[in-house]
Amino acid sequence: MDRFESVNREKKNLITVKNVSRVFPVPGGEFRALNDISVEIPQGTFVILKGRSGSGKTTLMNLIGTLDDPTEGEIFYDGRKIGELSERERENLRRREFGFVFQSVSLIPSLSVQQNVEFSMRLAGEKNEKTLSSRAQECLKLVGLLGRKEHMPSELSGGEQQRVAIAKALAPRPRLLLADEPTAELDSAMAAAVTELFQKMSEQEGVTVLMTTHDAGLMGAAQMLIELENGEQING
Amino acid sequence: MLQKMWHKKWMNLCLLLGITLLVGTLVSFPLYAQAAYDRMLQDEFDDCLSEQGIWPSMNTLVTFSKKDKKGETIKNMEAFLAGLNDAMGVKGLQTISYYSLTASEIVSEMNRPDLSGENLRLGTMSGLEDHVTIRYGEDFSQEGMTKDGAYEVLVDEACLIEKDLLLGETLSLSNVLDKNGKPIRVFIKGVFDTSQNDDYYWQIDKLDLLGTCFMREDLFRSVFMGERVGKYNITCNYYQLFSYEDISCEQVPELYENTKYMTEKGGYRSVFKKPVYMNVLEKYMGKQTRIAGTLRILQIPVLIMLAAFLFMISNQMYEMEKNEISVIKSRGSYRRQIFLLYLYQNLLLVVTGGIIGIFLGRGFASVLGATRNFLSFSSENSLPVTFNRQGFLYALSGMGFALLCLTVPAIPHSGITIVNLKQKKSANKKPLWQKLFLDVILLAVSLYGYYSFHKDMSAVSNTVLSGKSLDPLLYISSSLFILGAGLLYLRLQPLFVQLIYMISKKRLGPAGYISFMENRKNAGKQQMIMLFLIMTISLGMYHAIVARTILDNALENREYLDGTDIIILEKWTPVKDESGIATGSYIEPDYQKYMTAEFVQDCTRVYYDDTAYYKEGKNDRQITTVMGIHTKEFGSITSLSEGLNEKSYYTYLNELAVVPDGVIVSSNFKTKYGYEIGDSIFYCSSSGKEANGRIVDFVDYWPGFATTRSELDADMTAHVSEGYLIVTHYDVLRKYWEGLPYEIWMKAGDQYDPAMVNQFIEENHMQIRKYMNKQQDIRGVLQDPLLQGTNGVLTLGFVVTILLCVVGYLIYFVMSVKERELVFGVLRASGFHKSELILMLFSEQLFCGVFSCVAGALIGNLTSQLFIPVLQYAYASEDQSLPMRMIVNSADMIRLYGVIAGAMLICLFVLIGILQRMNITKALKLGEE
Repeated sequence: MDRFESVNREKKNLITVKNVSRVFPVPGGEFRALNDISVEIPQGTFVILKGRSGSGKTTLMNLIGTLDDPTEGEIFYDGRKIGELSERERENLRRREFGFVFQSVSLIPSLSVQQNVEFSMRLAGEKNEKTLSSRAQECLKLVGLLGRKEHMPSELSGGEQQRVAIAKALAPRPRLLLADEPTAELDSAMAAAVTELFQKMSEQEGVTVLMTTHDAGLMGAAQMLIELENGEQING
Repeated sequence: MLQKMWHKKWMNLCLLLGITLLVGTLVSFPLYAQAAYDRMLQDEFDDCLSEQGIWPSMNTLVTFSKKDKKGETIKNMEAFLAGLNDAMGVKGLQTISYYSLTASEIVSEMNRPDLSGENLRLGTMSGLEDHVTIRYGEDFSQEGMTKDGAYEVLVDEACLIEKDLLLGETLSLSNVLDKNGKPIRVFIKGVFDTSQNDDYYWQIDKLDLLGTCFMREDLFRSVFMGERVGKYNITCNYYQLFSYEDISCEQVPELYENTKYMTEKGGYRSVFKKPVYMNVLEKYMGKQTRIAGTLRILQIPVLIMLAAFLFMISNQMYEMEKNEISVIKSRGSYRRQIFLLYLYQNLLLVVTGGIIGIFLGRGFASVLGATRNFLSFSSENSLPVTFNRQGFLYALSGMGFALLCLTVPAIPHSGITIVNLKQKKSANKKPLWQKLFLDVILLAVSLYGYYSFHKDMSAVSNTVLSGKSLDPLLYISSSLFILGAGLLYLRLQPLFVQLIYMISKKRLGPAGYISFMENRKNAGKQQMIMLFLIMTISLGMYHAIVARTILDNALENREYLDGTDIIILEKWTPVKDESGIATGSYIEPDYQKYMTAEFVQDCTRVYYDDTAYYKEGKNDRQITTVMGIHTKEFGSITSLSEGLNEKSYYTYLNELAVVPDGVIVSSNFKTKYGYEIGDSIFYCSSSGKEANGRIVDFVDYWPGFATTRSELDADMTAHVSEGYLIVTHYDVLRKYWEGLPYEIWMKAGDQYDPAMVNQFIEENHMQIRKYMNKQQDIRGVLQDPLLQGTNGVLTLGFVVTILLCVVGYLIYFVMSVKERELVFGVLRASGFHKSELILMLFSEQLFCGVFSCVAGALIGNLTSQLFIPVLQYAYASEDQSLPMRMIVNSADMIRLYGVIAGAMLICLFVLIGILQRMNITKALKLGEE
C-alpha cells in the first residue's frame, strides 16, 4: 500500500474516474456493467485491471479510451472532463495520445506488419518515411517480430498478431496505452516478456499503461492493481 | 432453407432480379419478333396489292375441259378446289370460277358488215350479278333467255366499245353450235361497269374481260357443262382468294411448303399458275432471316452480362456462406447434401423469377414494339404483342440457364472444409485469365475480325443486299473487343494505381494512404465489379451510338432521296394524230391548281427522268438521271447538307442560273469520261429525245439523286453501280423534250397533313403516276422492323445492363463495407475521423468505380470509332446514297453518365448511412466471437 501512496503523491493524476456507472439496456430491463467506480491513475503508472471475464474490465477500458460514455459519473483525462470533449477532440486524443491493443484483431488486413505499425504513427501525424520505417522496425524488434515485417496479418498466428498490435500501439509513443487482454494468446514466456516491456515503458518513458488480464502470474509487475467483480470495484 | 434464404434476403432478391431480367429478356425476343414479323408480312402483302393491283393471296388454276362427255374434269376440279384452302391451311374469302367457250366469230343479226372479223367468247363467272353495276340496259331475266331462244349476255363497257357492239343487239356465234347444229345466239341485255367494285372479285385477265360476253351461270352449266352435252371445249379459270390478314408469321413456312408441293409435285400441279404470294413469302422469309439473325446477335452481350451478374452474385453469396459451409462440412455433412440444399434453394428462385420473367418479357416486348429511337418510345407505331409457344420455350431455356449459372459455383464451394478455407485465405494467386492472356487473345480475335471486314466492306454490303444474313463475327467482334479491352484495363489498372500512389505519396493523409493500400490488396476481388462497370458503360455507349447512327443515317438518306416534301406526277394524256397514232407528246395538265393548294408553300416543275441515258460512242449507253429545274424555285423547296459537295448547294444553283445552256453533272462524268468544265455533253430522255448542254460544274450529291443503283441478278447476287446525274434548266428540257411529262415538287406549308393531298387529288379528279410523300416515307423508315427491332433491343439491353450495374455495384459496396466493419471499428478506435472514413471509401470508389467508368467511356468510344463504319453496312438499305456518318447524341451520353453518377451517389449515401449507424464498441465486439 505504501508504494501506491508514494506514487500518488509524487505524480499528478492522468486519469480520474469518479463514481462511474455504465448501464446497458437489455431485453426486459438493464444490465449494470459497471457500478460506481472511482479510480485515480497517476501519470506513468503501470496499472493492471484484474477480474474474471464479464466483470466489466473491457467496459472500463472503453470508457477511459473515450470509445464509450458512462451512464453516470465522470472521467477526467489530464484534468479535462472527457464527457465535455467534442467528437473531434476525442478522436484526436485517441490518435495522438492513446495506444490501443484490443482483445480481438487490432490490425488492418490490407497492410503488412510494418505498414500496420507505421500506420498508427501516420495517424498521429508523422509523415517522414525514414522516421516511420526506423521507429516501426524498432518497435517490431521489441516484440521480436522484425523478421516478419513484410508479412500480411493473415499470415501470422493469433499470438504474433497480438504482438504486432502491441508494437503498433507503442510506435507513436502514446501517453496512455490501453491493452485489453494482450497476453491472452501468448505463451507464458512471451506473456512475461510483454508485461516486462510495458513495465519498462512506464518506468523509462513515462507511459501510463492500463492493461487487463486474468493471468495471476503477471500481477506482480503492476504498480497499481484494480480488481473488478460483477461491475463492482473490489480494491484500488 | 427458407429461413436461411430470408436471412440473406437482399442477396436473394438480387438473384431473383437477375433471373427475372434474364428470362424477361429472353422471352421478349420471340414475342416481339412475332409481332414484328406479322406486321412485316402484312406490309409485304399490302405493298404487293398496291403495286400490282391484284389480290396477292390467291391461287389461280387453269384447266381445259375438252369434249368431256361425262363432265368429270370440271367435277374433279371443283371437288379439289373445295378442299384446297383447308389443305393449304388458309381461310378462304371467295372462289371465282370463270368458264368460257372457245372464241368465235360473231355475226350481227342487225346486218352490220363492219363487225366482220370480230371474235367474242361466250362465258360465265360465278357470282357475276353481285359484283357489277349495270350501266346501260338490264340485268339477266329469270329465264336468262329471250323468247326467240337467244341467251341473254352482259358485257363490260370497254368490251362494248372495243368490239363496237350495240346494246340490245342479237349476235350469232358462228363457231359454237347447239345440238341441232345451229350457231348459238346471244342477246346483249346489259352493259356493266367493274370500277365500283373493291372486293377484288375482278381477278380475270383484262383481255378476257374485253373479249367475253357473260351469260347466267346456271344456264351455262346446264347448256354447256352437263353430262350429256360434252361436246364443247371449255377453258376453266379458277381464282381462289384467301385472306392474308389471317396468316400469321408462324404459318408462313407451312404455307410455303404446302404451296410448293401443290404446284410442283402434287397431282394437280399442272393446273396451278405460280401464285403471286410465293414471291411475297420468299421476300418476307429473306427479310425475316436477316432480322432474326441480327436481333439475336445483338441480344447476346446483354445475355452474357445477365449470366455474369447471376454468377457474380451467387459467387458472392457462397463466399459469404463459406464459413457456414465449411463448418457444416467439417461436422461431417456430405458434399452432396450441401450441394442439394443449394440446388433446391436455386430451383425455388429460378421458378419464381421465371414466372415473373415471362410477364416482364411481355412488357419488354411491348416496349420494343413501341420504340421510336434509342431510349425513346411512342405508342403511335406500337405493335400488338401476344404470348406464343416459342416464348414459353425461351422462358424454359432461360430458367435452365439461370439455374446452371447459380448452381455451378456451388460445386467447388460445397467441398470446402475449414482447412481448405484457411489455406485458400492465405493464397493470393494471379487470376486465370491473366495467366492465359485472355485479354490479349480477345483483342487479337476482334481486331482480326475488324480488319477482315474492313478490308472488304463491299462484300459486307453485297451480302446484305442479297438478303443473306451476316457473319456473326461482324457483330461479335465489337463485343469481344470491349471485353478484351476491359480485361486489359484490369491488367494495367494496378500499375496505374501504383503510379498515382508514387506521385501523391508525399501529400497523402492516412485516409488516402489506406485507400491506396485497400485498393492494392483487393484488386482481385474488385475485378469482377470493375469489369462489370466497364462493360456496362462501354456497351451502353457503343449501343447508343450504333442505334443513333443507323436510324439517323437511314432517315437522312430517305430525306435526301425524296428531295422535297411532296412530289406528284400526274398521268398525262398522250396526243394522237388524226389516224390515232400516239405522237410521243402529251397534253399538259393544269399546273395552276398546285400553286393555290392550301397545303403547298412553294412548288416548282421538275423534269425528272431517272432512266435517261448518256451516249458514249455508238452502243455504249450510260443510264443517267436527268433533271430540269427552275434554279430559283428549286432552291427554295430543296436543301442539301453542307459538306456533301465541295461548294455550298446554292453556289451550284447560282452557277447554273447564269449559264442558259449550262448543266451540272455528277463528278463521275469527270473521273470516268474525262469531261471538264465548259465541255458540251449530249444526252437522251428514256424515250429517246435528245438534248445537250455545257458543263458548269461537278457535284457528288444532289437532292433526289441516287448515287448508287443496285440490282439483283438471277442468282440473287447484288450489283451495285454508280448513279449518274445531269441537271439542267427546265426551259432547256422544255425546248428539247417538248411535251414530256414533268413532276411537281412541293414544299409543304405549316397546315400540311397527308390527308389534304389525298383530298386535293380527289377533288381535282387527278390520275396519279407517281406520288411521293416524305412524311409517309419517314414513317416507313421508323416502322422498318430491322431498324425498330435494333433500336428496341439496344435500348432494352441498355436499360437492363444499367439496372444490373447499379444493383451489382450497390451490392458489391455494401458487402465490402459489411465485411470490413471490424476494420472500420479498429480505425475509428485509433482516432480515425468519420470524415476520413468517408473520404477513404470515396477514394476507393474513385479508383474502382469512377476510373472504371472513365475507362468504359474510352473503350466505348474507341469501339464505336472502329466498328461502326463496318457495322453500318449491315444496315445499309439498297438505296443508301449519302455517306454514312457516326452520330453521337450528347443527350444519350448525358443520360448514360447521369444514371451511372446516380448509382454511385446512391452507393455513397448507403455507405454513409451505414457508417453513421456504426457503433465502435459494437463493431469491436463483433470481432470477439
